[in-house]
Amino acid sequence: MAPAAKNPPPGKKPPPSLAWERTRLAWSRTVIAFAAVGGALLKTDIAAGAIVVAMAVLLWVLFRIIPDQAGRAASPARLRLVAMTVAGVAVVALAVAFLGRGA
Amino acid sequence: MAATGDREDPAGAAGGAGGAAAGGMEGAEVAQDAEPDARFTFANERTFLALTRTALAFVVAGLAIVQLLPPFPDVPWGRRLLGVPLIVVGGVIAVVGYLQWSRNQQALRHGAAMPESILPRVLSVTIAAMAIVAAVILLVSALLEP
Repeated sequence: MAPAAKNPPPGKKPPPSLAWERTRLAWSRTVIAFAAVGGALLKTDIAAGAIVVAMAVLLWVLFRIIPDQAGRAASPARLRLVAMTVAGVAVVALAVAFLGRGA
Repeated sequence: MAATGDREDPAGAAGGAGGAAAGGMEGAEVAQDAEPDARFTFANERTFLALTRTALAFVVAGLAIVQLLPPFPDVPWGRRLLGVPLIVVGGVIAVVGYLQWSRNQQALRHGAAMPESILPRVLSVTIAAMAIVAAVILLVSALLEP
């Protein structure tokens, strides 16, 4: 069995872990994917693309500027927001698919 | 030792401890609603994020087909037939991915078996179906072309 880690003293930041690091990188990849979708949308529909890029920026702000305490998993509310944002992007993409110029 | 049920410090477990995985040593009552091992929680979160990226890839692929692909000769509805289902499935994956994360988290908390996921099947069936539809559209387009 792995040795138990000591809890950090109150007020001290917990030590980073590899699992947390991998999760942080996964969040970065996800935000980059959002930005890429926004960029692709900008080519076809500026308003829709701007909305998605704004969503990517919002996610980045949520993730970077107002992070959950380092080393802690994201809250359900944050993950729900991500899922709803992707569903929103899908709805915007559907609208573009039916109403956009190239359609 | 890292406190098994301490919601304030799952990071302690992330630092390398077994965390709530050691809950079994402290009795079934603690394991009933204990904070799961942070490593499992992070793995669950990463799976959710991977599904999110898959959903975004579906959406952008569908959008690219509808907006960027040149129209199929004599099959004007071909691009929408290919692109719209991809966008819809992308939205569905995002929502189902969150529900799956939530169910997995519940199972981890209660020490229950991980629930079976339908998403691998959905992804395989969707990709196979879209490949078949694409092949059919190409064939029809080639046959109708004068």
